[in-house]
Amino acid sequence: MNTSLYVPGDTPLHRLPAGAKFGVLFAAGIGLFLLAHPAVLGAAAAVAAALVLSARAPLGALRARLLPVGVMLAVLFAATALLQDAGTAVAMLLRLAALILLALAVTLTTRPADLLEFFERLTAPLARVGVANPERISLGVSLVLRFVPEVFRRFQEIREAQAARGLKANPVALLVPLIVRTLKAADDVADAIDARCYPPPRRPSGGARTEENAT
Amino acid sequence: MTAPAGPAPGAAPGERPSAAEAPAPVIELHGVSVGYDGRTVLSGLDLRLAERRIGVIGQNGSGKSTLARLLNGLVVPDEGRVLVDGRDTRTDGRRVRSEVGFVFQNPDNQIVFPIVAEDMAFGLKNLGLPKKEIPGRVAEALESFGIGHLAERHSHLLSGGEKQLVALASVMVMRPRTVVFDEPTTLLDLRNRNRIRDAVDAMAPAAVVVTHDLELVSGYDRVLVVHEGGIAFDGAPGEAVAWYREHCS
Repeated sequence: MNTSLYVPGDTPLHRLPAGAKFGVLFAAGIGLFLLAHPAVLGAAAAVAAALVLSARAPLGALRARLLPVGVMLAVLFAATALLQDAGTAVAMLLRLAALILLALAVTLTTRPADLLEFFERLTAPLARVGVANPERISLGVSLVLRFVPEVFRRFQEIREAQAARGLKANPVALLVPLIVRTLKAADDVADAIDARCYPPPRRPSGGARTEENAT
Repeated sequence: MTAPAGPAPGAAPGERPSAAEAPAPVIELHGVSVGYDGRTVLSGLDLRLAERRIGVIGQNGSGKSTLARLLNGLVVPDEGRVLVDGRDTRTDGRRVRSEVGFVFQNPDNQIVFPIVAEDMAFGLKNLGLPKKEIPGRVAEALESFGIGHLAERHSHLLSGGEKQLVALASVMVMRPRTVVFDEPTTLLDLRNRNRIRDAVDAMAPAAVVVTHDLELVSGYDRVLVVHEGGIAFDGAPGEAVAWYREHCS
């Protein structure tokens, strides 16, 4: 199971800063909802599709990510066509497809760390007024991305161990050991984070360890 | 509790050429006791650790992992003090942890970022290293373990051996003076166990290795046997392993 959409590469989109990509995505999101002409929306969807292809992600990975979205869009298209009219359904389909493909192009080409750093910068004003700690939010998001596959793997291990002993799928029998194992692992992860000197110093770069004093 | 038997621990550094680059910090335990949930795990420990390669062996539940965690302040003693080059782990834990790295038994719980290079960078950011220096340091550390090709890989998709090497590299990139290992080869097959053994043998910092792998500690400078909450034997590897086999098997 892979929760991260990022695909390593060195395309122009990969090299673009995360802030610029999210800025364009944000502006495109607003623009797409202001536009209604199917030809313009179709052109936007085509550009977005070209951007996704330019990320040079493996086609198998793209298919796995786009298939569920395609099913969802097909259902929405059918429902809109039935409840409203075909023109509105086409516009809705093209608009959402363009937006989803643009978002996919951004996430395919943006490392999770760059993404988190961008959000840290974005939420930095909240820290100044004492509302939130962006570093903690960022670490929390990162831990979710990192450990969802681990929890899924543990779930499968527990299920297999129970199946091997003839136990049929039972939500309680699955969840209790999963929660216990996950909480135990959370303790170890907290220790691992402590062991690597978290949190970072408050000063941006002043007082930072240099090559000499880091050794 | 001091060791009742065993020769004086050898103070000479090991014969590994790269291991003699920086002096190992001196770790001292003074009257250290630790307990959990009303149960005493370690009691009255007095130790001075200054050798470059120290092994710690003992039965399950004997207190080995707790001893390892005491050395870099992940666990602070209920009684007594742990000093690393004179710094108390209770009051100066962050500084101690920047000097004493820790490699956990299960790398799945140690690697905290989804991409290998990001995980490597995590410790350096925490040390406050300037941002522009981080990619170079990460690449250098990965290459030193022969895993530069893993930099952009998703950490949860690596093999067990690759994960343990990444976990070790993510500690080594912080350039600690001592690395504490908590059963680093327990989850590995023979090939990967040998890779970790070779990596530990070749690395420059001092190492304290908690393990059930008795062969792993055979070339070390000193081996401690932890038994029933204390150091039951403290001496040369051959004698320590013999004592362990005789009394704990």
